Amino acid sequence: MSGARGLGWLARREVLRIYKTWTQTVLAPVVSSILFILVFGLSLGSRIREVAGFPYEVYIVPGLIAMAMVQAAYNNNSSSIFQARYDRFVHDVLSAPMRPWQMNLGFNVGGMVRALAIGLALLALAMPITGIGVAHPFALLLAVALGLVLFSAIGIVIGIFAETFDHSTFFVNIVVLPLAFLGGVFYSVGQLPSPWHELSLVNPVFYLVDSIRYGFLGASDVSPWLSLSVVAALAVPAYAWSQWLFTSGRRLKA
Amino acid sequence: MPAPTPPALEVRGLSKRYDDGTVALESFDLSVPDGSFLGLLGPNGAGKTTLISAVCNLIRITAGEVLVFGEPSHSMAARRWVGLAEQDVNLDRFLTVEETLLYHGGYFGMAKAEARKRAAEMIDAFDLRAKGRVRTPKLSGGMRRRLLLARALMHRPRLVILDEPTAGVDFELRVELWRYIRRLHEEGTTIVLTTHYLEEAEALCDEIALIHGGRLHARDTAEGLRERYEAHTLADVYVKALGSPAPEAPAPAAA
Repeated sequence: MSGARGLGWLARREVLRIYKTWTQTVLAPVVSSILFILVFGLSLGSRIREVAGFPYEVYIVPGLIAMAMVQAAYNNNSSSIFQARYDRFVHDVLSAPMRPWQMNLGFNVGGMVRALAIGLALLALAMPITGIGVAHPFALLLAVALGLVLFSAIGIVIGIFAETFDHSTFFVNIVVLPLAFLGGVFYSVGQLPSPWHELSLVNPVFYLVDSIRYGFLGASDVSPWLSLSVVAALAVPAYAWSQWLFTSGRRLKA
Repeated sequence: MPAPTPPALEVRGLSKRYDDGTVALESFDLSVPDGSFLGLLGPNGAGKTTLISAVCNLIRITAGEVLVFGEPSHSMAARRWVGLAEQDVNLDRFLTVEETLLYHGGYFGMAKAEARKRAAEMIDAFDLRAKGRVRTPKLSGGMRRRLLLARALMHRPRLVILDEPTAGVDFELRVELWRYIRRLHEEGTTIVLTTHYLEEAEALCDEIALIHGGRLHARDTAEGLRERYEAHTLADVYVKALGSPAPEAPAPAAA
């Protein structure tokens, strides 16, 4: 019972951290993503013909929401666990009567909640601006859940391994963002010539963007089941890795 | 005949080798009876903080066993029974004083209503009322020390470990903290205290253990140690037993 309570309080603490810094954790990414929709979608949209049968400003919304959410999940967890390690208040959690899986889940919750808050806010704003709807709610929920598990867990792993704050920002700037931009957020990879089309298919973020786009629009470059399978195949080992770090104490305990 | 009470802390053959090869503890044995007050003395690097970290599951031990009231230190029960105030100020920068106590209580399994009540008690006991809604980075050094101690006691631990709780605090606060610690011991809590201040160990502890190089060199009452080493002061005992200069006494309080 005490472990379950501990998990609840730890998850609550992670959410409180987001709430206390909401202008930085939620508002800023929502504003920047909405600017993308306005600038790229509405201004360039009039010059770009439909993509996969959808107006351009509608086509880019799922990818932008996906990109904002995965960045938030990653950034939140990598910075939260890094700060907890750096200031050593993680000791308060590590010494508490909680199971390693409860600690791992508690730290992971923050990134998921922050990403969902951003995703819902963006959807609420994008709907009246672009008229986008949700074609396949179940597929969308599944894609979002798998994507959040994947990037929340990667955030925990990088936050645990990072020696400096630069290490955790390096990963998002050098790995996550480029993969997201090259993962079909602004275009359909089906339009790309060879070999860019084939190269896009080895980009894991493409499958997340494509599965979320399928959930919103009902259109995708590859089978949504293939996309969901690829994201799940990455999410499971990523979460297992973060779990192993809490179970073994590697990098968390000297 | 009732079963004898297990020791509050039982350390058997504890060894810790860090990843860089440093051996902080080697086959270390220690038993701390329930209700006692043990002081751990030794120079920097003696292994005191490593020992504490092993008890509180903050390091991966290389070999040995740590039992808290007869339960393995990593068990849920043992974790609930131990309260730790670390040497470094390691407060959550996002929380206020009140939240620090509430969330600590929550991590240690307290229900919300119980945690609120206990946090109010701790805030009163440690004279933190005026700072209840202040975030921890804005607290003075003395307030942070009080909060660290309050947090360690929040979940009503049976074994309290204080790692240099008065390091760097002024004389008035040191005396105040001594008063809290004495009261805690009088209420039956087992206390393990590490300190560099010899007069602090002598004033507070029933027994003193001298540690150096990851090994226990001597353990007795202050009087017993003086007799054994034919020394007039604990500082002389320290020098004779550990072969290193005794730590300097803290600066006297300003007039």
